[in-house]
Amino acid sequence: MDAKLVRELEHVLGPAGVLAGTEDLLLYEYDGSIDEGRPDCIVFPRSTNDVVEIVKLANRFDVPIVGRGSGTGLSGGAIARRGGIIVTFSRMKRILAIDIVNQRAVVEPGVVNLDLTRAVEKDGLYFAPDPSSQKACTIGGNVSENSGGPHTLAYGVPSSHVTGLELVLPDAQVLRVGSSTIETPGYDLTGLVVGSEGTFALVTEITVKLSRLPEQVGTLLGVFDTVDDATDTVADITSRGITPAACEMLDAWTLRAVEAFVHAGFPLDSAAVLLIEVEGVREAAEAQSAEIADVCRLHHAREVRRAADGRERELLWKGRKNAFGAIGRLSPSYYVMDGVIPRTKLTVTLRHIAEVGKRHGLQIGNVFHAGDGNLHPLILFDQRDPVQLASAIAAAGEIMKFCVEMGGALTGEHGIGMEKNELMPLMFSDADLDLMRRVRAAFNPTGRLNPDKVLPLGKGCGETRVNVAQVPVGGIT
Amino acid sequence: MPTASPVASRLAELVGGEHVLTASTVCAEYAVDGLEPQAVLRPGSSSEIADILRFAAAERLAVIPMGGRTKLGIGMPPKRFDLALDLSRMTRVLAYDPRDLTCGVEAGVRFADLDRLLAAERQFLPLAPAFGTRATLGGIIAAGADSPLRHAYGSTRDFLLGVEFITGDAVSSKSGGRVVKNVTGYDLHKLLIGSLGTLAVITRLNFRTFPLPPQQATFVATFASADAALAWCAALAKSPLEPKIVEVLDPGTARLFAPAATRVPRDGWSVVVTAAGHRAVVDRHARDLAHLASEKHAAEFVALNDDDGDAEQHALLQCISEFPNMVLETCPGAAIFRIAVLPSAMPELLRRVGAVTERDISQRPAPGDKTPEHKTSERQTLERQTLHRATLVRVSGVVYIALLLTTNNANEHMNGVPSQSTSTSATEKVGDLELVQACCGLIDLGIAMGLRPVIERCPLPVKRALAARGRSIWPPSGAEHVLAERLKRVFDPQGILAPGRFHGGI
Repeated sequence: MDAKLVRELEHVLGPAGVLAGTEDLLLYEYDGSIDEGRPDCIVFPRSTNDVVEIVKLANRFDVPIVGRGSGTGLSGGAIARRGGIIVTFSRMKRILAIDIVNQRAVVEPGVVNLDLTRAVEKDGLYFAPDPSSQKACTIGGNVSENSGGPHTLAYGVPSSHVTGLELVLPDAQVLRVGSSTIETPGYDLTGLVVGSEGTFALVTEITVKLSRLPEQVGTLLGVFDTVDDATDTVADITSRGITPAACEMLDAWTLRAVEAFVHAGFPLDSAAVLLIEVEGVREAAEAQSAEIADVCRLHHAREVRRAADGRERELLWKGRKNAFGAIGRLSPSYYVMDGVIPRTKLTVTLRHIAEVGKRHGLQIGNVFHAGDGNLHPLILFDQRDPVQLASAIAAAGEIMKFCVEMGGALTGEHGIGMEKNELMPLMFSDADLDLMRRVRAAFNPTGRLNPDKVLPLGKGCGETRVNVAQVPVGGIT
Repeated sequence: MPTASPVASRLAELVGGEHVLTASTVCAEYAVDGLEPQAVLRPGSSSEIADILRFAAAERLAVIPMGGRTKLGIGMPPKRFDLALDLSRMTRVLAYDPRDLTCGVEAGVRFADLDRLLAAERQFLPLAPAFGTRATLGGIIAAGADSPLRHAYGSTRDFLLGVEFITGDAVSSKSGGRVVKNVTGYDLHKLLIGSLGTLAVITRLNFRTFPLPPQQATFVATFASADAALAWCAALAKSPLEPKIVEVLDPGTARLFAPAATRVPRDGWSVVVTAAGHRAVVDRHARDLAHLASEKHAAEFVALNDDDGDAEQHALLQCISEFPNMVLETCPGAAIFRIAVLPSAMPELLRRVGAVTERDISQRPAPGDKTPEHKTSERQTLERQTLHRATLVRVSGVVYIALLLTTNNANEHMNGVPSQSTSTSATEKVGDLELVQACCGLIDLGIAMGLRPVIERCPLPVKRALAARGRSIWPPSGAEHVLAERLKRVFDPQGILAPGRFHGGI
């Protein structure tokens, strides 16, 4: 890195606003995955104006810029794949405005997801997108990746909860798109930028909708002796028009791993559990709980348990939300996948995943958002063993391909980033990808912002070109 | 149909002669803001649409895609218009998986037809669009149509899963997908919502469908003032209740609806609340809403939750969905504003709107000045015209304000008989001038309040008059317009798609 650039950045941000020591750079070369890329320096802006000055310097010194929140992302979105400056928003963490009456908040991108809910829950409100990492991840990161969580099933991905943004474009221009109102005349630039994975602009301010806490929440645990019974239950709940707020599944292997870690009360000898939540006015929650319990029993649930109180509910969710951590205790490495299938294909897809695991001699756990068909197969392996690594990568590629063949999608919440950009041709034609490339260029013409993400690197590839060996691996070592 | 011009015969090669219409009577039916196309094309497939657009781009012919032709009046007059692309032959339902609650349709599928198909599976698409029998899904999306169901189900942006489309340079493309949760790639389809055909021709749309609630009931609480009605809505928003629809009708709108919705009081401001779900959920809403109404001293509270109420409920909700249609049927020369506004700013907006629009459009005749009908001059006809207002408040964040120019006779209260704009052109011109002034006043008011008012509907002379004053039916663009222009160039480099209709002159 140009020492002059570091000096100039320090001049703008102060010495405490810039990190460029080798040990610091090592800490910022990965995110929630283990994709790696060494940045040249890390900066900590405190204001939109700081961001503008950083972007101007990046342009003058011709280096890439990568935005970053808490680094919990699972597709390498916040990794400096081509080096350059990582702009970390952890010091832009002010909640700028809370409007209880209109159910809006204006936040800086570094505000931690759960902190916003904590700030408004005394007024009966909360911020609906709830990624499993919500205690750590930032709203800026949620906006960038459009990453939701279990309650996406009822309340939608973050783009449904964002009405306006302040952007710093790669040419250092500051623009506002959208507003605080539910719609804004003109093209829906806000809807386009949310989920653009940091490749269009740096987001410096976000206006979000706040949701009203439901009168009653009912949490059920359905316990099954076969995976098929559990997946059939999910499909049946969906097709009967029952609309739970969340519907999560853990298979036998995963629930045992979780139970050993969290002691959530999952029965150790079951084949699968469903964690289902219903919300709304008291009468709605009660009626839906009863219906769901009936459907579970119809599909041979061994037991349907209802959380008696908030503490029991917390415990069940703790089991779900700490699942990845629990597995991290058991395996040297694991690959958290993210794929989506139509809800009717759950049973066949889980069978396929089991078969892929068996064929490759790999343990694959499943803990996922069953209600919206968003799978998270967890492939366990030892990264130090090249044979296992190769098998894990091959298995992951096969599973993703199967999801797309089922009519599904490559990601439901983790994003494409640098994990799956080479898989994009499974879903999109060259023409589709070329248009996406040109739309990106309308914002980011030089590619300086978060380079080599989302879209395949080769241009104009003639055919679907899935080199699974290039699929990077995520996990905890 | 035999085609004469060289353009027409080349188009006939692309879509078949019988699907190229050039008769002037036909072209007149496809006019957009008075501009008639040279030809009407009725393609039967996406590849035919791509062929047409390739040809149009090469020949620099301006194309406007359309479906049921119910919303062509939205937008500024096109700068050019050569080919009308009528998608009404594209009517296939391509996929419907009731067990997955998703469907995929061609753009020309009519909402009513899809609604019937879904209803057979006890499902629906949470759109209750105006012109519901004729409107197509492509048109509903391209026009950014809004509906009362937005309160509970969000806008189309929230349940449109993916779109296939053809850009202005004839490239078939797509974004999104078929599954209910998906963040793969850039959400280009969000740009197409409300884009009025300026970026691409939509050919296929995938939606998430929703289960029809087993029970539904509607309640009407009427108050003496807008402030009281909106205060009640604010109290409702703080309650644990979860209604599907919350809309406020002003007295003008209540009268407009009166022939069909007989149990809505014609005076006062009525809040219409629909609850749905299990019987117990609907009963709970009935109890709590009645309590809330008496607590806040509603002048009247009507529950449409019995068997008799069901027809009335249906009629009232139909009126609300068809609000623009009803306004235009009553007064084809009406202007309809669509103003996105935060709930807390609604009372102020409605108070100040009164000052701008509650006045006769010209000097009232002096009391006792009874000009005999047979001697009425144009000027005097004008003096008998009045500007009325009909307001529909979508409490979740949009206010619709219709300005209707009506003759000041027996149907002063607009109860039933449509009072068409008088036919003489002089009258129209002067009447429109007054409407233009009222529109400008309302635009200025909205902008002064930090809002972005859009005139979703108004007669062509008003659009022209606005343009002559350097204004538009669209609010002024901000700095972000540079991005909109760049995106337009990406999607439509030759500028052949509906040029000039969109925000900022795009």
